[in-house]
Amino acid sequence: MIKDTAQFDQELMKMLTTITGEGIKNAAVGFSGMVGRSIEVSNPKLELIPLLNIPKIVGGLEDDAVGVYLRFEGDLVGQIMLIIPYTKALELADLLMGVDKGVTKTLGSVERSALGELGNLCTSFFLNSIAKSVNASFRPSPPAVMVDMVGAILDIVVATAGGVNEHVLLVHTNFMDGPRVVETDFWIIPDMKALGQLLQKKTTS
Amino acid sequence: MNNTITLGLGEKAVSRDPQDILVSYGLGSCLGISMIDPVIHMAGLVHAVLPESMNGSEKADPITNFKYVDWGIENLLAEMIKGGANRSRIIVRMVGGANILIAPGHTNTFDIGTRNIEKAHITFQRLNLKVAAEEVGGNTGRTVRVYVADNRVTVRVIGEKEHDI
Repeated sequence: MIKDTAQFDQELMKMLTTITGEGIKNAAVGFSGMVGRSIEVSNPKLELIPLLNIPKIVGGLEDDAVGVYLRFEGDLVGQIMLIIPYTKALELADLLMGVDKGVTKTLGSVERSALGELGNLCTSFFLNSIAKSVNASFRPSPPAVMVDMVGAILDIVVATAGGVNEHVLLVHTNFMDGPRVVETDFWIIPDMKALGQLLQKKTTS
Repeated sequence: MNNTITLGLGEKAVSRDPQDILVSYGLGSCLGISMIDPVIHMAGLVHAVLPESMNGSEKADPITNFKYVDWGIENLLAEMIKGGANRSRIIVRMVGGANILIAPGHTNTFDIGTRNIEKAHITFQRLNLKVAAEEVGGNTGRTVRVYVADNRVTVRVIGEKEHDI
């Protein structure tokens, strides 16, 4: 059981970093499969962030961004929100649609659907990897894709976690296709208690 | 030179300095509630996150807490009056409370925006405050700015210019 945040930080962050690192690498495998070329990822940076500090850490709250949101259920319940800066999302759409960089100017329903599918794939691969390492299973919901101000998208993370979690996990990583780099933030809102129990099980097994 | 004061989640600001612009960027389901006493040029803004404190979930101080819509409104009003504002002159405007998450299976699950708006209206009624203008609900994020100098409140949504409300 996680008794408090300090304990969570000390004992479990290292293990979580390893597990999410594997998860992100696995997400890149899914990504590569979807675009049919090898996508690499940078080493993800994992942080445990106090809920109300989220906007301060992210900054650029009025900037346009794309959010891909999923919930997952099973042994562990939680939510994942991917946030990609808008211009980077256009580049990502170029990549997904197999067109030259700069061709996609706006995100229509086809592009949104492709981004949603990518989010779905990445988070599924990510969750599968985590499920495997903690010997649990969970199923993701269909993705919701939104285009709005960063602050407004983050409000979903804050509002859904608010009153339940004091902290959320941020995994910051870069997906790279040669010189193309897409910065992505994964916000993960797990049920902290259940997560602690799962990780504890892993530690003692 | 204008001085922009940015409000984070659950924060408030009250000012009488005409240089000041109080801003909450990218409100989604959150509410930006402004109160202005136009005679003494006092403006306040609160960036409330959730409708109300959940029972026993948090040992928050109701006097200093601006995270919740009900406490936020009450506390901002108290601070305005304490600073010299006349209750009968206070102009209330409200922005935000959107539901950004629209997709099958998600839509109504976490509609905090609508609950925030409802809570605000109940609180205004209880405190006998009239809302002069509001731009709330819908599915888009908004930035709210309060200009202390000329008692203006503006809203901006993605891809558009800011406009007065």
